[in-house]
Amino acid sequence: MAPAARKKAYVKTLKDGQYQLMVAGRPFIVKGVCYNPIPVGESHDYDFWNDPAQPWLVDGQLMKKMGINTVRFYQPGEDMAAVRRVVSDLYKKFGIRTMMGHWLGFWNYPAPFYDDEDFRKKVKADVLAMVEALKDEEGILFWVLGNENNYSFSGKINSWSSERIDKIQDPRQCLLARAETYYTLVNEIAQEIHKIDPAHPVVMGNGELICLDVASTFAKDVDIVGCIIYRGKTFGNIFKTLKNTFDKPLLFVEFGADAYNAYEKKEDEDMQAYFLEYQWAEIYRNLGGTAAAGDGVGNCIGGVMFEWTDEWWKHDEWDANGLSVHDTESNWSNGAYYFDIKADRNMNMNEEWFGLVKLLPEEEKTSSGQVLNKRVPRKAYYAIREFWRHPSKSSSIKSPERPAAAGKNKR
Amino acid sequence: MRKWIVGLAVLLAVGWNVCAAEEKAAEEKATGEVKSFPVYTDAKSPDNHYIPSGWMGDFGDLSMDDKYMGDPHSGSTSIKFVYTAKKTQNQGWAGVYWQNPANNWGSKKGGFDLTGLNKLTLWMRGDKGGEVIDKIAVGGIKGTYPDTTEVSVGPIELTTTWTPYTVNLAGKDLSYINGALCWVANADSNPNGATFYIDDIKFEYDPALKPAGKKTQEMPFYIYADKGSIQNHFIPSGWMGDYSDLKIDVGSTDNPYFGKTCIKITYDNKATNGARWAGMYWQYPANNWGGVDGGFDLSRAKKLTFWARGEKGGERIEEFKVGGIMGEYSDSDTAGIGPVVLDKEWKQYTIDLTGKDLSYIIGGFAWATNLDVNPDGAVFYLDEIKYE
Repeated sequence: MAPAARKKAYVKTLKDGQYQLMVAGRPFIVKGVCYNPIPVGESHDYDFWNDPAQPWLVDGQLMKKMGINTVRFYQPGEDMAAVRRVVSDLYKKFGIRTMMGHWLGFWNYPAPFYDDEDFRKKVKADVLAMVEALKDEEGILFWVLGNENNYSFSGKINSWSSERIDKIQDPRQCLLARAETYYTLVNEIAQEIHKIDPAHPVVMGNGELICLDVASTFAKDVDIVGCIIYRGKTFGNIFKTLKNTFDKPLLFVEFGADAYNAYEKKEDEDMQAYFLEYQWAEIYRNLGGTAAAGDGVGNCIGGVMFEWTDEWWKHDEWDANGLSVHDTESNWSNGAYYFDIKADRNMNMNEEWFGLVKLLPEEEKTSSGQVLNKRVPRKAYYAIREFWRHPSKSSSIKSPERPAAAGKNKR
Repeated sequence: MRKWIVGLAVLLAVGWNVCAAEEKAAEEKATGEVKSFPVYTDAKSPDNHYIPSGWMGDFGDLSMDDKYMGDPHSGSTSIKFVYTAKKTQNQGWAGVYWQNPANNWGSKKGGFDLTGLNKLTLWMRGDKGGEVIDKIAVGGIKGTYPDTTEVSVGPIELTTTWTPYTVNLAGKDLSYINGALCWVANADSNPNGATFYIDDIKFEYDPALKPAGKKTQEMPFYIYADKGSIQNHFIPSGWMGDYSDLKIDVGSTDNPYFGKTCIKITYDNKATNGARWAGMYWQYPANNWGGVDGGFDLSRAKKLTFWARGEKGGERIEEFKVGGIMGEYSDSDTAGIGPVVLDKEWKQYTIDLTGKDLSYIIGGFAWATNLDVNPDGAVFYLDEIKYE
């Protein structure tokens, strides 16, 4: 490990055990957004890195005006030269840094065999190749390993196992064995990254706090715990719980709210802005080393909102006709987003409507003469911009007025 | 337009506010004058301001005589309620709201501005003694014109003697109260029904009354001790997933671990609602998915323990859980264990709550499982569920 002073980014442990992110020698609050600029009509495999319209130049400008200082990519494209150009443009033109992620093979078909040595070697090599290719880019801030991969331990998604694990009779021990297997791999990769790139911290992307007690034993070398959290208005006791179970700096690598009211069946910018303001207020209360920390735990270093623009492909990615339709059918249910929880079957979360910025089918010309889907910032864009400018005023958040919903109690 | 209290002459002044009310109340106390606003005094009394029109839950199990003349607390009548607990509407509970105007579930303007008053008092007695009232509440009607507060107390066990019960409203916003009072009782606590009497319901001002702090509950704090036990807290009202495939018997006498009864849960493998999983939350108040401010402060708890067994052995529960309901009023934390494979014999399980923030819990206990791990469904039993 290089001395802290030589690192471009590192987390400083303060005297009282709080954590503060330092970037280029100064305290840095991550004001981030997940960025996946896929045009209307294209699918998840669209290579936006080589988009001739260069959407990051338009988006970067808008982000900068809002106050965003970090974007999160889930995984780089195959063309590393193109990736480098995007990272460089965002940083040099707009001062926006990049958190570069890697799925760790989570979406491989048929399954991520984390207990298979060859699979582990392949994933490790792939991640390290990414780090080698990008580590000298000035805009790089963090490496993010995985994204909710821990949900596979219970078999909820992308179920995986091995002969060794299958021999374990007790299902709880089975789950713990998967957790140990996965977190050990994350730790090995983090150790290798530190060897070749001591300048950028390693974040582990974990769904909720699930199994972080296991990670505290087997993934000690990650620098930052990145949590994916969708808890509505409040993160609850997450700050203290993490402090007690895995005392690492906390970064919300995904959080937010959608802007479609599934109960009233219409776009609802107020609802999205309301939740996001509350979420940022809690993040600020729990930042380390700032005057705003107040009664907070002081282990938070910022957050990355999900997400910059709506993604029209998400509802049914295999339906080519759906790629150009802004679907309003909900994909999942979450009572924490209570304004529309009385929607039919309580299905209230709309994956295609999480953008801080609307993506319209109409196209407009960029300065280079290319065409892009029109971007229209939602209310949350302005609300969070104001919050970042005046975080002390956050106590006056008002609930959007709406009639009470009626419905069954069953979920 | 909201109605103003006609019984209080001073309240009619334009620009009247809480401070003025309190000053006036102090004055009244000094002069021995009692400031109050009746909900019910006697049948046909012109002072009655609300109507017991909001029948809820198993309303078919209810009958009421608001002119009952046998042994009133004062005057010539009281209100007699008979709750048969026959579950006519399959709800397992019933209750009544006093509303203004009648049947106003928040869809129209009505109610009263009760600012300046800080207590509701009512007198109750049971026909036999031992009748259990889950809660007495003020406010809480939602809708387009919602009550400005909701405060509840309970459960209470009635005796055959008239007894006063109060709801502390100090510090609460009473500027619009359409639901003056409601009571709720359930069939589990009153398996043979309940007959009881209510009299002399009124809002008052008590200058000595301080806002109630959130009471930190003493341990042990039971979720389930026995069927109908007054020690029970939370209601198994939050059915999830394939809820149509679930049955619960909170009074099973099939080999309880302790006491006379245990809980029997049956989960059929029909996937009737298409979810292929199911679960159940014990909530407070019933059906609270975070929309009602009603949590318990269980900060003293270090663990939750319960006993469980499977009908055949081998039934797998993916998670037993505490807290985790998120909404406008979220649980302050969550903790759980699982997966758990049940034995045929009773076995105690513990959810460690060390370091958890249990200052506000509406989801006292929950379980969830699915058909992938229980392809034939599951029948299992729970008993002695308690925070310690």
